[in-house]
Amino acid sequence: MVPMLDLFWNMMKEEWRVHSTMFGSISFALFPIMIFAIAFMGSFLLPVFKSVLPIQDMLIITHGNFLLLGLMVGAFGLLGNEVMNRRFGQASLLAYSSRSLPLSERFIFANFVVKDTVYYFVFWVFPFIAGFALATPFTHISPIYPLILSVTLTSSFLFGLSGVFFLSTIYVRSKRVLGIVLVLILVIFVFAYKFAGISVTSLFPPLILFYSFSWTNLIITCAVIIIPFIISIALFIPEFTDTTKRYRNMLTSMTRKLWFFPYPPFSAKDLIDMHRSGSVVGQTIFSFIIPLALIWFFLSALTGFLPAYGIFLQFTVLTGVIASTMYTWLTQFDSFTSYSCLPVSVKTVIASKINSFTVLQLIPIAFISFVSFTTHNVPYLLPALVLCISISFYALSVIVYMTGLSPNVLLYDVKVLFVYLISVGFPVLVLGALSFINPNYALGSVLLFLPTLYLIKLGFTKWDVLDQPIF
Amino acid sequence: MAVMIETKNLIKVYGDITAVDNVTLSVERGALYGLLGPNGSGKTTMIKMLTGQIRPNGGSVSVVGIDVMRDPIGVRERVGIIPEQETPPSFLTATEYLNFVAAVRKIPDIDEKAAWWFDFLDFRDKKDVLCKDLSRGTRQKLMFAQAFIHKPVLALIDEPLINFDPIMQRVVKDYLGEYVKKGGTIFISTHILEVAEEICSGFAILHKGKLLHTGSVSDLKSNNQHLDDFFLSLVQNGAHA
Ligand SMILES: Nc1ncnc2c1ncn2[C@@H]1O[C@H](COP(=O)(O)OP(=O)(O)O)[C@@H](O)[C@H]1O
Ligand SMILES: [Mg+2]
Repeated sequence: MVPMLDLFWNMMKEEWRVHSTMFGSISFALFPIMIFAIAFMGSFLLPVFKSVLPIQDMLIITHGNFLLLGLMVGAFGLLGNEVMNRRFGQASLLAYSSRSLPLSERFIFANFVVKDTVYYFVFWVFPFIAGFALATPFTHISPIYPLILSVTLTSSFLFGLSGVFFLSTIYVRSKRVLGIVLVLILVIFVFAYKFAGISVTSLFPPLILFYSFSWTNLIITCAVIIIPFIISIALFIPEFTDTTKRYRNMLTSMTRKLWFFPYPPFSAKDLIDMHRSGSVVGQTIFSFIIPLALIWFFLSALTGFLPAYGIFLQFTVLTGVIASTMYTWLTQFDSFTSYSCLPVSVKTVIASKINSFTVLQLIPIAFISFVSFTTHNVPYLLPALVLCISISFYALSVIVYMTGLSPNVLLYDVKVLFVYLISVGFPVLVLGALSFINPNYALGSVLLFLPTLYLIKLGFTKWDVLDQPIF
Repeated sequence: MAVMIETKNLIKVYGDITAVDNVTLSVERGALYGLLGPNGSGKTTMIKMLTGQIRPNGGSVSVVGIDVMRDPIGVRERVGIIPEQETPPSFLTATEYLNFVAAVRKIPDIDEKAAWWFDFLDFRDKKDVLCKDLSRGTRQKLMFAQAFIHKPVLALIDEPLINFDPIMQRVVKDYLGEYVKKGGTIFISTHILEVAEEICSGFAILHKGKLLHTGSVSDLKSNNQHLDDFFLSLVQNGAHA
């Protein structure tokens, strides 16, 4: 027990060190306070929300958000390893120290899981619930609700976390089995929804627990969280990279093939980075398809209230926002120091990343097309695609302007995140509302390309002049 | 063009640290010039300003006759740079990295040139390994090749020998010596004084961002002085002043 605690404590300190050295401990410590403030003040707006959205739907959305948060945190923790690994050096992270410490990989992985859970609980989940709870005396909501919510929201978060750990463990073992598992889950949901008439959300244990709090339900909820955790730890195999592996030269031929791109060697390098790190498939599954599939389930649970095309377009908006984060996939491999000894400007590198980003937008285009076919929304496909791509590029331009080539680090800075949320949130809400009224209004989203181009231009000048931050 | 590097009253401030404090320096063509100073004295900051990687807060800097602040890309096209932290792109192989550099710098016949460097620095067996899996020493070799592959008129090297074993140090020192004999100019930073004493012609001593002294190694030797004694006396006087 003592080494376990010791290692755990050191990992926590390390997580703090990594985050706080990236943008100063004060800025980082403000993070939970911001979450707290949002929840606290949001509670006073509840009556307003209630007149627009039934309380049931609000509960679904909140639980869904926490589920997503758990999922994203899990995906970041696992896929982010590669990044951390490089930025801070293999030996500097305890998660990799089994080669020097007499501890098993599995033991360290178990600690890693617990650390992620506790760390993000303290930073995200607890401040939210605390904000809501402290507002109850003023909002005349029974204090029993924050109590129950603290259990059910936490378990939603953990459910997402354990789910993604579980799926990624399968992913590492066999991609085919992962495919089968995902299809199986999909079939169960579709079957339950379409044929058995069971509401999707009533399959989600934390929500069941919220509506009828009982020991049995509590145990079921805990079980669906703990069992995947245990299985992933039991099945865990460390990914040893073979450091002597040889690769043939792909860069030269690929640069030649991409001659029509504005920056062929840079685009070739982006493609090779994603191919060799194995991150296109992994990122697409864990940072794109799974979160969106979940969003779809939660959105479609609201069907009674929203028009069918409304849900589809709403979903399109969110797909656009998530698609914009593909810029972080492209910038995770190197910092600008890899280029700084070459006659290359920051502007050129950002432009080449935007170029590769444009290619990656084929993924959301294919995805939205697929969804429109399967949900009988083909008549709205054109406005949907315009909406999705406009929003994705607009959100990208905000990220480029705010973070340059370091979105993976700077988006964790409270000030940056705050400005990002405001500037992306506002047009997203407006466009979402407009497309409810009439789906063709969604076509108006092309106007977003004006601020998009302007912000990208501003970003070029901003980051070309600034000294590149070193992390 | 006789003067390859010229700075006037160069200043770089980080928060309350003045990393480079009013440095005026000039380096002639054909020199193997050493920028010396203990850790944290501002050597890396100097090199980054000379190559347009960071902007000075004051003063002027011109390299190969180009105003660095106006045209940093133009400067980097003409010079070779080996940064302090060797960071070739993680997921490219050594061969691919040199091809990437060649594409950016528009260098012809890269395959032959790369092959020559793999043999010269003795890392042919690592040429198809990903950069992230290379040892620090091998990465440093790759960065060395990258900096000289286009035969620049001036190369700026931050701590050139720090990751090399004694045999490789010898190879590299000889290469640098030959390079200036053939008309090139080399600017190195180092905190290892023996290296400077052995290979440099001119040198400058930096301490806490301030330029304490500039001179030539041969003058020092004709006065029967050792660079390290000279350096220590300067730094101690500087500290008391
Ligand atoms: N990006 C930076 N931000 C803040 N301080 C810096 C930064 N880079 C260097 N410094 C500070 O500037 C001083 C000079 O550093 P540096 O040029 O790296 O010295 P040297 O290369 O001689 O060891 C040191 O005190 C260092 O801490
Ligand atoms: Mg240095």
